[in-house]
Amino acid sequence: MDRLRVIDFAAGDPFYNMALDEAIARRIGSGRGPPTLRLYGWSPSAVSIGYFQEVREEVDLDFCRSKGVEVVRRLTGGGAVIHTEGELTYSFAVKEGDPAVPKDVQGSYARICTPIVAALRRLGVDAAFRPINDIEVQGRKVSGSAQTRRFGAVLQHGTLLLDMDFALLPALTVRAEKLKDKGAADVRGRVTTLKEILRRDLNKERVGALVAEEFGRGFECELMRGSTSKEEEGLVPELAERYRSREWLFRR
Amino acid sequence: MERSATRKFSGGKLLKVTVRSEAGVIQEVRITGDFFVHPEDAVEDMERALRGATVTAVRGILEGKVEGGGITTVGFKLDDLISMIEGCAG
Repeated sequence: MDRLRVIDFAAGDPFYNMALDEAIARRIGSGRGPPTLRLYGWSPSAVSIGYFQEVREEVDLDFCRSKGVEVVRRLTGGGAVIHTEGELTYSFAVKEGDPAVPKDVQGSYARICTPIVAALRRLGVDAAFRPINDIEVQGRKVSGSAQTRRFGAVLQHGTLLLDMDFALLPALTVRAEKLKDKGAADVRGRVTTLKEILRRDLNKERVGALVAEEFGRGFECELMRGSTSKEEEGLVPELAERYRSREWLFRR
Repeated sequence: MERSATRKFSGGKLLKVTVRSEAGVIQEVRITGDFFVHPEDAVEDMERALRGATVTAVRGILEGKVEGGGITTVGFKLDDLISMIEGCAG
């Protein structure tokens, strides 16, 4: 990977967000898209659930409906996440087999999370990667990531909590057993935000730019500011339709 | 008869298995949770392969799948999944 396309921060509809990540991965996998780092946000707020999760076990659908929170099933495994306005989300995709990303899954999480940890440290936050797929500050999660390897590509997307609308947390019905060994009684205790740590508001565009810079440094590649291609945009509507469908949401 | 089991593994991932069986024969298996499996389709593939199997055949079927397909599980081990399915079906 000599060059990394960077798609600058923009807030998007949840179904569009997931569709675009998939479109990017599909194009890369078929050899017709560049390695890409995309920075984005969620509008409206949404819960995303992991590919293998049962939606009824993880999400309070009535609560989501009453608050206008969308629910979408991801292409990636992992757990349910509430994405609110304060979140900076990233997706990183390269062709499978690219030497920049280790073949072993655990190693590749560590590799791809390294620039994010570096960006956090530049902000003055004492962040550390915690296997399998989290980044923590003082034992509390500030970022979580999930990966898929499909279409001939490796796609990893994840969160970075600059801030969070904690009032929307009841959207998740997290089981107590999930949090026990992480020393937290509930999600509120397990999760922290950069705003809580630094006691100031951060700008998503600026932190996104910092993250991109660290990807360039960490992967020793040139950053190319870019936008989505016509081909990617062409794939999005049909993919977004699938992500929006009840069939996809309730498949588990 | 439907039985389900949930286990949480070191690293924090949760695996839930639900098995519907009749007279010792598996009718349906559902494997859910916040783990990772690559390729992802392997999970549905396993669920399909177990339909109509007896408890004693579970291990052979799943080990066969993993051997043939270059399947990676993250968050749990294949042995864990096998014993959970056997426990629910037996």
